[in-house]
Amino acid sequence: MKVLDCDDDFDRWREQARNLLRASVPPDQVCWEDAAARQLFSEDSPHGDVAPPATDKSIRVPADLLQDLKLAGCHRMPGRWNLLYRVLWRVTHGEPQARLAGDPDGSELQRRIKAVRREAHHLHAFLRFHPCPANPSLDYIAVHQAAHDVLAWASEHFIGRLGRQRWMIVSSRDAVWFDGETLQHRRKCPPEWRALAEAVCNEDDVLWQTYYSCIFNPARVNPTVMRGHMPSRFWSGLPEGKLIAGLVGGARLGARQVGQAGRVIARRGKRIDIAPKADQGATSRGR
Amino acid sequence: MLLIDKLAVLADAAKYDASCASSGAPKRSSKGKSGIGSTDGMGICHSFTPDGRCVSLLKILLTNFCLFDCQYCVNRRSSDVPRARFTPEEVVRLTLDFYQRNYISGLFLSSGIIRSADYTMEQLVRVARLLREEHEFRGYIHLKTIPEADPALIVEAGRYADRLSVNIELPDPGNLIKLAPEKRIDSITQAMGTIDDASQDSREDRRAPTFAPGGQSTQMIVGADASDDRTVLFRAESLYRDYRLKRVYYSAFSPIPNSPSSVPCQPPPLMREHRLYQADFLLRGYGFKAGELLGDTSELALDIDPKLAWALANREQFPVDLNRADAGMIARIPGIGLRSAQRIVELRALKRVRYQDLLRMRCIMDKARPFVVTADYRPRQDTIESAVLRSHLRDQPAQMGLWG
Repeated sequence: MKVLDCDDDFDRWREQARNLLRASVPPDQVCWEDAAARQLFSEDSPHGDVAPPATDKSIRVPADLLQDLKLAGCHRMPGRWNLLYRVLWRVTHGEPQARLAGDPDGSELQRRIKAVRREAHHLHAFLRFHPCPANPSLDYIAVHQAAHDVLAWASEHFIGRLGRQRWMIVSSRDAVWFDGETLQHRRKCPPEWRALAEAVCNEDDVLWQTYYSCIFNPARVNPTVMRGHMPSRFWSGLPEGKLIAGLVGGARLGARQVGQAGRVIARRGKRIDIAPKADQGATSRGR
Repeated sequence: MLLIDKLAVLADAAKYDASCASSGAPKRSSKGKSGIGSTDGMGICHSFTPDGRCVSLLKILLTNFCLFDCQYCVNRRSSDVPRARFTPEEVVRLTLDFYQRNYISGLFLSSGIIRSADYTMEQLVRVARLLREEHEFRGYIHLKTIPEADPALIVEAGRYADRLSVNIELPDPGNLIKLAPEKRIDSITQAMGTIDDASQDSREDRRAPTFAPGGQSTQMIVGADASDDRTVLFRAESLYRDYRLKRVYYSAFSPIPNSPSSVPCQPPPLMREHRLYQADFLLRGYGFKAGELLGDTSELALDIDPKLAWALANREQFPVDLNRADAGMIARIPGIGLRSAQRIVELRALKRVRYQDLLRMRCIMDKARPFVVTADYRPRQDTIESAVLRSHLRDQPAQMGLWG
């Protein structure tokens, strides 16, 4: 049994897998393991390199399969690389269904791809930028904890969104920084970046919190559906997260019957006392 | 009045509008450009409120002062609500600030009618123009159109907006006279026609400026009058056909403060709304006709979804052999969606489809089981009567909340 380590780096895994395929090493003869979770009985210590075999046998891998493997490789879990090699082996050995949802391996592959895509979507949706007016070289900064390795590539979305603005996203693992021209990814977030984030990211935004409370219709309260779409692990990063419990509670205690937000009820109402005039052109009934 | 107080009043006034979609816009990006904003056609839900609804756009009214007296509307002139009015510049500032903080993907702006329909429409267009031209904003803009406004203003709105909408309001135009005396069905449909013509023109002529590339949508209030589901769905079907609408939104009528006696004062019919959305989805995506879904009934069933109801009423078309049937028929099987149908067709090009494959695709087998045949499975329930099957398959009733 060959024991390998690719440092959770797709390009490194790809190089290793290519050499293994060319040397015709079947998936049950090889195992990728994480430094954190060593195999109990493995005798070899993990290798980073697989010697390229002497043959010049070329292997054809469809480009979209490589794309699938790359996405599934972003799914954080122990031993994530083993499934990918098994799928790669089977597809290149006459089993094209090994990557489809109807196959046991393919189903797991597709499940991981779906989870990774969803996590990228969560980044685009639930990340919150905070302005940094005191910093001359940065416009916005955010803290976001993704469950999978999506930050490096999924953050490109914000280049299109914010144009020439300069921004930074930090997490407890990696971080990205866009200086207005290029996007830099660091596999380990530098402590000084984290300090920048901590300085501004806990500030409330009362305008947004007001909007969130008032656009909510208590007559339709349904926290289960909300939780399904917006997992509670993100709430602490959202300015509106701390309002949720109060809004749900208020709805259960009677706000359902009114529908109006409390701070709107508290204001004086105003009826508009004009009789509709027959000659008021566009707004009249008689046109 | 402070900006924050205006925001409270004018967001509260906009919450009865169902749509918050930011989909259908062409790809736009601000990469390397001045200005901000991008769209990719998909739309993003940036948050969810505790009613389970998505927050994708900043959804506000420019003002909730209104000359009209529509009985179902909280902002009708006889209603005793607090009133406020934004300046166009204030809306622009809020939109840009919220957008950059990644709270929203754009703006959905509507308004009460002030002074005249034309004046109100001009104000809405002004906001969109400021965003697009002064601030080079490339995010999503949805403008609610005032149907009585000059068609030239509607055409101008379409140059800046990704989506335009005109509310049909009630499923039965006859009830408009009773509940919304100032609104007329002809001006509503004329405005829809203006939008449809302009978007056809821009699609046919490549040199013409783009016009509302995200198309038009509308909203129908369900439960404010006595219209049945048959009226609602046939109305929706004809709107999709006649004006090529992208979406019809159904808004369960939700009781409003100081409700007039002409509209019901009871909790919004949320399950009915849910079933209408399911049926609407089947109309748009699955090739069903409203008549097929309703059969000879006038209301959709509340205890089972419309696709299951259709299958139970049409047992002679089942069970469907997944290794033979075409993709369209597979998608008509309860528990199997468009995506799974596609996957089944891809898989059977490689091998015979087996029961286990459906489980792996996460089809909802409890619903699909009586209706499918695979290489290794035939339903025993095939001979069970529809009424008995229905009692097995219906959604379990939920316990009522202690506080209603």
